[in-house]
Order: sequence, then structure tokens, then C-alpha cells
Amino acid sequence: MKIVGLDSLIFGVDDVPGAARFLIDYGLTPVDVSDAGGRFEAIDGTSVVIAREDNPRLPVPPAPGCRLRKTMMGVADGATLQAIAAELRRDREVRVLPDGSIESIDDSNFVIGFRTTVRRPFALPGEISNAPGSVIFRPVNSLGVPPPGTVIRPRSLSHVVYFVPDVLKAEAFYVNRLGFRCTDRFTSTGPFLQPAGSLDHHTHFLIGAPPHMHGVEHFTFHFGGPSEMITNGYRFVEKGYQAFWGPGRHILGSNWFWYFNSPFACHIEMDADMDLHDASWAPREAALSADASQTFLLKMRKKWAPGPGIHENGDYA
Amino acid sequence: MATTPEVKIARLLRIGRADEIGEGQSRGFDPHESGEDTMFVVRQGGVLQAWRNACPHIDGAPMAWRKDAYLNADGSRIVCHAHGAEFLPDSGICVQGPCVGKKLTAVPIIVDRRGELLVKEE
Ligand code: FES
Repeated sequence: MKIVGLDSLIFGVDDVPGAARFLIDYGLTPVDVSDAGGRFEAIDGTSVVIAREDNPRLPVPPAPGCRLRKTMMGVADGATLQAIAAELRRDREVRVLPDGSIESIDDSNFVIGFRTTVRRPFALPGEISNAPGSVIFRPVNSLGVPPPGTVIRPRSLSHVVYFVPDVLKAEAFYVNRLGFRCTDRFTSTGPFLQPAGSLDHHTHFLIGAPPHMHGVEHFTFHFGGPSEMITNGYRFVEKGYQAFWGPGRHILGSNWFWYFNSPFACHIEMDADMDLHDASWAPREAALSADASQTFLLKMRKKWAPGPGIHENGDYA
Repeated sequence: MATTPEVKIARLLRIGRADEIGEGQSRGFDPHESGEDTMFVVRQGGVLQAWRNACPHIDGAPMAWRKDAYLNADGSRIVCHAHGAEFLPDSGICVQGPCVGKKLTAVPIIVDRRGELLVKEE
């Protein structure tokens, strides 16, 4: 099953203009957006789609209060689409939509869709650093800090995290029916899952939770590196958005993270520099704790500079 | 030797004007200059009510999605925009989401004769 990753997440919201502004300020590009909603794209064409929550064309949420209405996955080719449809039809309805995508439901009641991926190939350098003892990757006289005013855009839809009432059942569906692989696991919490067509540490993370929490914890896009992620997060905070956790760096997956509250009844993350794994990777298992989750966690404070004019009780006193 | 008993007199801090918060609106405040809004005030049915910006789902979690955005679109519920918990604005009780039945912590506020909004210094 050559599923290559997430293609789009579709949300129903009560405040379309507010959610649209939020996604644009996050860095996504609006495409075909009106008062009724629309699509917000990363560089590679993966996206978040929003619509008014009372739009009758939206699929039903997995649980009351969950604003995610559908998770669209991208697959490598038509043959994979056929194979997924055949597999799911063994025990559930699979609808073919007018755009050629297929739609069904997973074992935790999340509506899932599949289509030949919309991901557009693009070439942009990732962040590279200089370090004594290392070969030089960033050429001499090329600057590490992007010029002021550089527009930072998310590159690709990265992962989604579901709260599921039965984590074993949920994992079995993605592994046994759709060919996902567990890359790492938090004991009694849940697995990080990678589809067969991706090397990313995870595109899905499942967290076992009581039924009243059924829904989504967060979703995120990949940025070009830690400097992009932190600069973008800093700008986001300066615009008044509420940081929840981070910036920091996870241990499982290694990705830099910064989580924010959102109008989607879940967190939105910015991430960068996630580990890649192939089939030779042996999954690790760790007990979830603050120490097992993050290698470090930074605390945001306002910009300041040492030197004349700083507050006498400031950091530089 | 007799000592003077220590009498602690709570000072009142001015945080803003009551008329700056319209019907069905919310606003966050940082009266103790912690660097982030630690409380917010909501006006519903003409009545101002203040709560700690601390979700009972994850103790102390900040709730707005954007500065001052503590309510749903029609202003009828306080929402924690971390995982979508919804609270009744008059009682602070969670009626939807991960902490159903739990309650926000109220913050006593005073509106003085000139319409200034005051909270007690901690
Ligand atoms: S922290 Fe408020 S709903 Fe989870």
C-alpha cells in the first residue's frame, strides 16, 4: 500500500474568517477561499481545508466537538487506490467521489479519504549548519540567517494525532489494513505510524484516551529547519497567537516542535527536521513522561538586547 | 516588647475599563505582569465575570487561540482552544469536551464608580 502521507485535513469551523486568518498567519497560502471556506496550501500543495461547520457536505465528525471532518491521504498511483478500495470493501462501505478519490471510515470513526497524491515536487535547500570538525555544508560567505522580511512557508503537511478510544484496534486498522508500520511507541499511550510510501518517522500518532476525549490532539506542517520554525513561531506569537508548548525538540522522531492553540478544537504545531526511517528500523518503546518526550524545552520571552537602555532589573542587570 | 501586628491590606490593581468589554466579548489581562494573560473577563447578559486563564483539563493550560479570543463565534460559550473544552460563561462549568463537569476558577473583580475594572493584588 503505497500511501505517501497526508494530503489534506478538512475541518468544520464556526468562524471561517477567523480560522482563515489563523492559517494565513501560520504561513499557508489561501487558494479558492471565500466566506464559506476554502483551501490553504503548503509549498507542495498539501493543505488544510475549512468549511462552515453547518455545511451539509461535510462528513460527520468522529465524536461531538471534534472539528476534523476528514483526513485525506495521498497515494502513489491508481493501483494503490484500487488496492485500498478492495481491501476496505471487505468489511465497510467505500464511496467513489466525483473527483476520483475514495472515502471510507477507519475503526475509530474518523472519515478517511484517499486520492493520487497532489504533492508537487519542489527543490529548496533545508537548513544546514556549520560545525567544527564537520565537512562544510553551508558554503563560505553564505549566511545562516535569512534576510529580514523573508517569507516563511510551511513545506508539507506532516502528521496528525488522534485521540482514540481503543488504541489497539485503531493501530491494527492502520497496520493490518493499510500497511502502516510502527516506528516507535509510548507504552500504554500509543504508536507512531509510518505509511509504506514515506520515510517520515510518523504521519500518524495514536493516543489512547477516554471516549469523551475522542478527536484530535494536533496536526502540523514541516518547515525548512529549526531557524524557520522558530522565526515563524515567534512572528505568530507577536501577532497575538497563544503558544501552548515549546519551542523544543522531541526525542522520538527528533522533530523540533512548537504547539499553539487553534480555532480547530485541537493544537496546531510547527515542526522541522524529523527523523527518516526505513524498514530496517527497529521500533523503540518508551514510557511517556516529560523527560522522554522532549530533549529540551525553551521558554519564550520578548526580544531584548544587551547594552544601553535595557531595564535595570532585566536579564542583563 | 510589644510588636505591631502585621495587617495586610489588599491593594486593588486597575486592569482596564469595564466599558471596553462589550456584550458577548472577552478580554485577557496580565495584572501581575507575568508576561502572559493569567485571567480573562467575559460579558454575558450585561454581567462581567472573570476567570483564571487556566483550563481544568490540563492544569493551568492557557485557553485563548489568539489574544482575547476565549469565546466561540456566537459568544455563547467559553472555549479552551487547546482541545475544544466548552464552558458555560455564567457558571464556568465544562459542558463539552475533555473535562466535562469540571469548573473554571473564578477571579473576583470589582467595577468602581468610575467604571474602572479592579482586581486584588496577589
Ligand atoms: S487543555 Fe483545555 S481542553 Fe485540553
